[in-house]
Amino acid sequence: MKKLALISLAVIGFTLSLVAQEQERARNADERLPAKLTGEFTPTASEEIAKGPVPRMPDGKPDLHGPWVGGGSNSDIEMMGGLKAGELPLLPWAKKLRDSRREEDEPYLYCTPMGVPRVNPYPWNFIQSVTSKGPGTIYIVHENGDAGRIRHIYMDGRKHPDDLLPSWWGHSIGRWEKDTLVIDTVGYNDKFWMDSRGTPHTEQMHTIERWTRTTFGTMTNDFTLDDPGALSRPVQLKFSAKVMPPGSELMEFICTENNQYGVAADIPNIYRDKGFGLEVKPEELK
Amino acid sequence: MRAKLAAVIAGLGVVIVSAPVLAHHSFAVEYDPKKPVEGTGVISKVEWTNPHMRVYVDVTEPNGTVTTWNLELGAVNSVLRRGWKPADLKPGAKISFKGYGGRKILQRAAADALTLADGRSFTGASGAPDAPAK
Repeated sequence: MKKLALISLAVIGFTLSLVAQEQERARNADERLPAKLTGEFTPTASEEIAKGPVPRMPDGKPDLHGPWVGGGSNSDIEMMGGLKAGELPLLPWAKKLRDSRREEDEPYLYCTPMGVPRVNPYPWNFIQSVTSKGPGTIYIVHENGDAGRIRHIYMDGRKHPDDLLPSWWGHSIGRWEKDTLVIDTVGYNDKFWMDSRGTPHTEQMHTIERWTRTTFGTMTNDFTLDDPGALSRPVQLKFSAKVMPPGSELMEFICTENNQYGVAADIPNIYRDKGFGLEVKPEELK
Repeated sequence: MRAKLAAVIAGLGVVIVSAPVLAHHSFAVEYDPKKPVEGTGVISKVEWTNPHMRVYVDVTEPNGTVTTWNLELGAVNSVLRRGWKPADLKPGAKISFKGYGGRKILQRAAADALTLADGRSFTGASGAPDAPAK
């Protein structure tokens, strides 16, 4: 019997190491594959152009204009944000829900917005508006966000309202800390997934993005994720965006135009009747 | 004893097979990497649309019946950024394709390579892996 236990342990250990190797291999392969083999394609600037200096606005602040690719989560927020597997401090109900969600059901596939901090292989941009009174609201425009969705980052010192109706992009206020644009957002709904794994969040989510353009071609997003409803503590993530080649522009993207998702595999739209949002109330899964 | 060990080993197989799924993109939930498809026919319709571009190809079978394939490509923006132009894909033109069939409807396929009669070939726009999974 002891022998069986030892053999079982050895087999399980071997299995886990194989799984870990396979996951690592798959992740590396994902990063190594040229864009043409992973479907969607957005070019980025050459290394020569990317290492150039950070451009400046007339007021001396960094010019954050891209367009940019990346800078957030997509397939796995934990891994893409720089954490190790299992390090995202999900509460038990949130972990259970994530593990029960299937990639084929992600709301984004039905043309709903991606939410924050999600990005996909499509580009997006910062637009720093200038008014007669000087620098104004900063806009984030997503080519496929969805669709062409605009975030407003209020820079006039206002506070978050107390009576926000939860929304896909929440309410964002911004400020400059030296050369870093700090965006504080609350008021999110719980309808989008943080990644295609199905990492959930609640309406208590509070995000702080710290965007720093470090070269012409690179911008980092030091991202604070706080959600007392889904996480046991706030967590710090880090993402990086790359600039598109000079002269690139966002294009029109109307997702609902011809979305035939699911037909080829007969995947039912589980949201048609119940709508988007958490499948269960957190207290029911505790 | 032997049965228990066999069960453990069977479990091992299941775990290894399921592990790579974690890294797959949504391609795999709709299209089957184990169902490579190909054909030659005539373009009957081209939809330069989002979220995915589609090329419909009428393929005449040896018995004379015509099957219309609905081929999914990437987003139209991705296709345009690769340098394709509407003039490159005209209804009525002869075309060959390779791709991966839908999990339920084979003729709704992810196109991975399109080759025109003049030999020009477009590859890799579907989100398909470059080779079927082992």
